[in-house]
Amino acid sequence: MHPNLLLLLPLLIPLYGAIACLLCWRWIKLQTAVTAASQLAWTAAAGMLLYHVLGQGVLATQIGNWPAPFGITLVADIFGALMVLTGTVTGLAVFLFSLPGLDRARKRYGYYPLLLFLQMGVSGVCLTGDIFNLYVWFEVLLICCFALLSLGSTRGQLEGAIKYVTINFLASGLLLTGVGVLYSLFGALNLAALAQMVQEANHPNLSLLPIAGVFFIVGFGIKAAVFPMFFWLPASYHTPPIAVSAFIGGLITKVGIYTLVRLFTTVFVVSLSFALPLFLVLAGLTMVIGVIGAAAQIDFRKILSFHIISQIGYMLMGLALYTPLALAGTIFFTLHNVLVKTNLFLISGVVAQAEGTFALKKLGGLYLRRPFLALLFFLSALSLAGIPPLSGFWGKLMLAKAGFASGNYLIAGTSLAVSLVTLFSMTKIWNEVFWKKKKKPAPPVKKTSTDVLRQRLLYLPVIFLMLFILLMGLYAAPVLMLAETAAAQLLHSETYIKAVLK
Amino acid sequence: MRTVIFATAIRILTPLFLLFSLYILFRGHNNPGGGFIGGLIGSIAFIFHTLARGPKDTVDTFLSLTLRIADRMPGQSRPAYLSQMLKANLVGRKKELPDQWRQHSLRLRPLFLIALGLLIAVSSGTFSFFRGEPYMTAWWPDTHLPVLASLGTPLLFDTGIYLLVLGMVLKMVFTMSRD
Repeated sequence: MHPNLLLLLPLLIPLYGAIACLLCWRWIKLQTAVTAASQLAWTAAAGMLLYHVLGQGVLATQIGNWPAPFGITLVADIFGALMVLTGTVTGLAVFLFSLPGLDRARKRYGYYPLLLFLQMGVSGVCLTGDIFNLYVWFEVLLICCFALLSLGSTRGQLEGAIKYVTINFLASGLLLTGVGVLYSLFGALNLAALAQMVQEANHPNLSLLPIAGVFFIVGFGIKAAVFPMFFWLPASYHTPPIAVSAFIGGLITKVGIYTLVRLFTTVFVVSLSFALPLFLVLAGLTMVIGVIGAAAQIDFRKILSFHIISQIGYMLMGLALYTPLALAGTIFFTLHNVLVKTNLFLISGVVAQAEGTFALKKLGGLYLRRPFLALLFFLSALSLAGIPPLSGFWGKLMLAKAGFASGNYLIAGTSLAVSLVTLFSMTKIWNEVFWKKKKKPAPPVKKTSTDVLRQRLLYLPVIFLMLFILLMGLYAAPVLMLAETAAAQLLHSETYIKAVLK
Repeated sequence: MRTVIFATAIRILTPLFLLFSLYILFRGHNNPGGGFIGGLIGSIAFIFHTLARGPKDTVDTFLSLTLRIADRMPGQSRPAYLSQMLKANLVGRKKELPDQWRQHSLRLRPLFLIALGLLIAVSSGTFSFFRGEPYMTAWWPDTHLPVLASLGTPLLFDTGIYLLVLGMVLKMVFTMSRD
């Protein structure tokens, strides 16, 4: 298929799905059917994109046929296509979960169109080749996230959503300033054009590049919840229903990391001498603070929210080390983390649907009553902590190995220690939710057969994601290869430049 | 704001606003104007109408269509029934409603306008796929119309944006005027 269409499909499918959902606003069943079709088509489009990128190298298309430095470019390299594909897989799982797991009122007020718009935004961020466009896609993400977080308008949700939107607007302002500075310095915003200027190294303003870089570090740092600007995340991600927070918590912060990796391997390559040590310190602090924050929590979802932060640290660590192995580690770890984190959120949702609470104190004894759920949680949690042979292990192994190889023993040691504390946190959830005896056993509620069916259906997305996690862990070689090729492609931006500016 | 002067002036001004907004929409490609600003100007007409006469009246005047419907008589053929319905709805609308006839009103919701606008704008770009060009490549077929000059996919895009903006503003105005 031609790249013109191939690159547009991951954007157009969710968009058309959302439009169709808006057109049949009153008929939720029709909306559900449309969303289901869009999710499947989106996954297929992302798979096709990855297949073609692997076969033909970097693909690019110029929207409106305006040539590259002036028009809007869409580009897909392996990293971008992989991110879109991971997004589609989590999207499919979250959609499956929302079928039995989300109340009717939220579906009536536009859950499906918002989810589809959000997914379009994810595709947009991962495929755009233009910094201003990138900013616009982040605004799309921000608006959709805000609407989804506040959908239902409970007190806690509104409080969380306001915190979320305030800090993220600030970040957007910083990004826009950065975009302006970059444009005034170089007169171009196309990633490939900027990368070419940086490589040729004869532009008079090149020494001023770090100034623009600072805005992007802070802006995307806030969006990716890097230390010290992470506090909005645990304040907002635990408030909405699971069908919302699983997608946002699982995927959207990682999109911030994706952008940082993209920008600091193409444009801000000359400012690395100041950025990398900074990233190294930030990565270490993000890991440690996140995991300590998690250890202090007593709510299932809050623990998971804090762990998002700590794992962002790992991803940043790979970028900070900036070796092929480290970047491959970041890519692998990001993919793994999106799947595992979403799965853990979904499991917390299954638990909450059965027991009616997320508070660890009130939960208990699930191991006896739901052994299969316990197994699913056990595997996901161990994968998150990085126990071999599950998927988290390979990512952490690559990162630690890269850390030791480049002589950064401190960060490598920190990452290993943080893994231990992660294991402690997961054990805490395990003990409280599954292992300990429930103090006051709830009076047996008579369940209708539809209730039982609904509970069973909730397992479906969890099992679906579990399959991917197991595949990534037990059959890691192809994914590792992919991550390594993607990292090599990132470090050799000539192919990227050539594909865009041909 | 419900004064007689204002309400009367709005009756004259509303078509003017709408015509001017269409003019802005059509000149948009090569001159200042276009779908966004055209949609905003067009929505002024509805905002003033709402201010002067209330949102319910605006909806009744511009955004709803009342149909007259009767059940099909036993033995009446389908074409005869259809022509009777058409006649009742097109010609005899001023007459009083006969017995056994119902009134059914269709409302154009702002949300529908938003979705329709988006659909038109997004789809205007897909024509280029059939011509083997990147998404949203402009296509100007060789037409020369007296007022509109030339037609092309960018005009279609602008029309979509016009509807989208109109729908957005109407949605906001109706929501705010309800409180």
